[in-house]
Amino acid sequence: MSDNVPISTAELERRPTVGGVVDEPATSSERWTGIASKYGLLIAFLITIVVFSLARPSAFPTGRNVESILTNAAPAMIIAVGLTVVLVMQDFDLSFGGMIGLASGASTAFMVKYGWPWQLALVAALGFGLLAGVLNGYMIAYLGGSSFIITLAMGTVLTGVEFAFTSQNTVYDGIAPGFAQIASGQFLGLSNQIWIAAVIALLIWVLLDRSEIGRYMYAIGGNSEAARLSGVRVLPLRVLGFVIVGLAAAVVGILIVSQSSSYAPNGGTPYLLPAFAAAFLGAAVFRPGEFNLLGTVVGVLFLGVIQTGLTMLNLQTFVINLVQGGILVVAVLVSRLGARSR
Amino acid sequence: MSGTVSAGRLERVEVRGIVKRYPGVLALDGTDVTATGGSILGLLGKNGAGKSTLIKVLAGVVQPDEGTIAIDGVETVVGSPHEATGLGFSFVHQELADVPNLSVAENVSLGLGYPTTGGLVKTRELRRRARGVLERLEVEIDPAAPLSGLSIAERRMVMIAHGLAANASMFVLDEPTASLTDGEIEHLHKVLRSLRDEGVAIVYVSHRLDEIFTVTDRVTVMRDGETVFSGATAEVTKPQLIEQITGSHIPTELRRRRVLPDGAEELLRVEGMSLPGVIEDAGFTLRAGELLGLAGLVGAGRTELVRLISGADRAAAGRIVVRGEERRIRSPRDAMAAGIVLLPEDRKTQGAVLSFSVRKNITLPAMSRFRLAAPLPMPSRRQERAASQDLVERLKIKVPHVEQPARLLSGGNQQKVVLAKWLESGADVFIFDEPTHGIDVEGKEEVYDLMTELAEQGRGVIFISSEFTELVGACNRVLVMRDGRLVDEFEGDRISDAALVASCYSD
Repeated sequence: MSDNVPISTAELERRPTVGGVVDEPATSSERWTGIASKYGLLIAFLITIVVFSLARPSAFPTGRNVESILTNAAPAMIIAVGLTVVLVMQDFDLSFGGMIGLASGASTAFMVKYGWPWQLALVAALGFGLLAGVLNGYMIAYLGGSSFIITLAMGTVLTGVEFAFTSQNTVYDGIAPGFAQIASGQFLGLSNQIWIAAVIALLIWVLLDRSEIGRYMYAIGGNSEAARLSGVRVLPLRVLGFVIVGLAAAVVGILIVSQSSSYAPNGGTPYLLPAFAAAFLGAAVFRPGEFNLLGTVVGVLFLGVIQTGLTMLNLQTFVINLVQGGILVVAVLVSRLGARSR
Repeated sequence: MSGTVSAGRLERVEVRGIVKRYPGVLALDGTDVTATGGSILGLLGKNGAGKSTLIKVLAGVVQPDEGTIAIDGVETVVGSPHEATGLGFSFVHQELADVPNLSVAENVSLGLGYPTTGGLVKTRELRRRARGVLERLEVEIDPAAPLSGLSIAERRMVMIAHGLAANASMFVLDEPTASLTDGEIEHLHKVLRSLRDEGVAIVYVSHRLDEIFTVTDRVTVMRDGETVFSGATAEVTKPQLIEQITGSHIPTELRRRRVLPDGAEELLRVEGMSLPGVIEDAGFTLRAGELLGLAGLVGAGRTELVRLISGADRAAAGRIVVRGEERRIRSPRDAMAAGIVLLPEDRKTQGAVLSFSVRKNITLPAMSRFRLAAPLPMPSRRQERAASQDLVERLKIKVPHVEQPARLLSGGNQQKVVLAKWLESGADVFIFDEPTHGIDVEGKEEVYDLMTELAEQGRGVIFISSEFTELVGACNRVLVMRDGRLVDEFEGDRISDAALVASCYSD
């Protein structure tokens, strides 16, 4: 029972896709479904941008708005690209919501409650991310726990640790200015958050798409037994995946506190859905049916643009929810239908 | 036609002229088998002779293309497994088809309707019913126990109990004594005899000739989908049966009979390989340039043995010596480092990453050879492409280009891709587990040629096949496995189909 969800999702992702069939003679309609499935999300993304730009020409297509969208999307970007690594290996991580909260709470407590220098608090928060990732990975890869259940439980445990640090109290004072500067500072005219997200996305892109480790990770996701028999170190790489998610979550937790110079309990939960949504949207573009880093990046930006654009249109909240959800469903289905027609 | 036939004892089930074609394979080619009430029929034949297909036809799992099944002279169509149960047929499959997480009692009545009151199962009544049939079988199994805690012998008994509970009048048992101890086998035979004496028809499929002589009344031999012999067990001898199983014509189109030079280096020495209940104390050597066959029936432990040697599974005991140096092999990585590679039996689940392109599959075991720059663990696609293109041409893999996903390839071409990825690995020992399984004649020839080529380069090749003629044609030496042990060895001209069959079937 506990395995049902990840497996069924995995099955979904293993469906024959259009991306691989390159040389077979295609009729023009097949070619169009091919393009629709490969770039459908990208096209929808561009159309959305055009629509919002036409609707709010003075506010939407401006440099300031672009920067604001990118800054707001940065934390989601960081956690979504980290999440992509475990998804590639057919694992799940639902603990990062709790980990984000723990990193926020722990770094705040270390600075405010225990008076540590902010640099040390930062390192400690990252250390928690590393530890949570290793624990997740060990229990799942080496002890054979279901990644779905283990990380769900781990998320709860991490939230518990967070509350042990902060007693669920909101904290407004005592965040070190140096710490606040991490997220609110700027570099070359852009928010540090954009740079941090960009660097992390780039690193993970290199890891997944350009390194041997990434090739092994995709092999594990495709057929972990064949990968093992080919000499791939399956278990350590799966642990590495969870460590990457843990560290990414810790970074996000730090950025949240830094950005607002304050701490609010349980700050990670709102990132769960967008991160998964972005990764699954991303699996519908470029290499349909396969989680891929560039796809995840597009997914995050798409979600960010929709969020900002709809807010600018001054729509009622329920309309925003309907449109936001509707666009996601349509974007994913367009790619799916194209993929299934083969 | 559905399961409403009366539960009275059937007299004869006659299978006449059954033909079953699968794409490219004629599984059954006019099979005649007659099972009669009050008699135990032994069904014999090599792997692939068509026994399993015949059982599937009787069980309603597959429909025959031609031929009839008549029950007491009435032609009958077995349209589904459910109809088979209704006709009074009960099957004990080699791979247990029970539900391990349910209790014994729930399994005994599975699909037969549970006693209920107001929609709720009456557990006590259910257990009483199970206890009743289990007592008839003289086994002491607690009906309330979960099936998963039972031994294989006990689970077979539960399957038979299920047949009794269904009031079956014909039992078909496929290799029922596989992995049973002598005592358990004796008890099973006793149960079967008493069922026979009650008038039940029993079809007993086995590779073990001694058991056939112990327990059956009549015997039918299948070969290449045809019934080649039927008669009373008392009137045949073991050698006669072996001759019928192999067929008198042995196509020994000898491909190679190379004699190894006396001083050929010993590449691999395996000593005392053991895995409790699976492999017992297996030891052999492999010399450079040698093509060593591994013969045996399904379940003899051939795949399990090579999985231990190649690190796919961990052995409980045993030594592996490669080129005179003892190597600890605890994972496929260790085996690769020692120069041993395995081409697994099931290429779809173990050999190829189907979502990967041909190129990525080929370079997977040796990524570090295709780096952009030596210290940088980043693959150079250009180099990968060149190397895989080269192998695709050498192995005549039929693909438009190396970026084609492996899942779009035919079985034979997938097999070649799996082969290609090991070819340039520099390994000394290549283990091929059923490499020709499911590929066409031309593809088989190419696989033989490749194995020969490897041997001629001074590598050692271990070749597992259930088609003994392949081993006869290709190998310098053949080892025979039976019940997890290496029991026989044939070299040079002593390798023959008849010798291998006789060795595999003797007890």
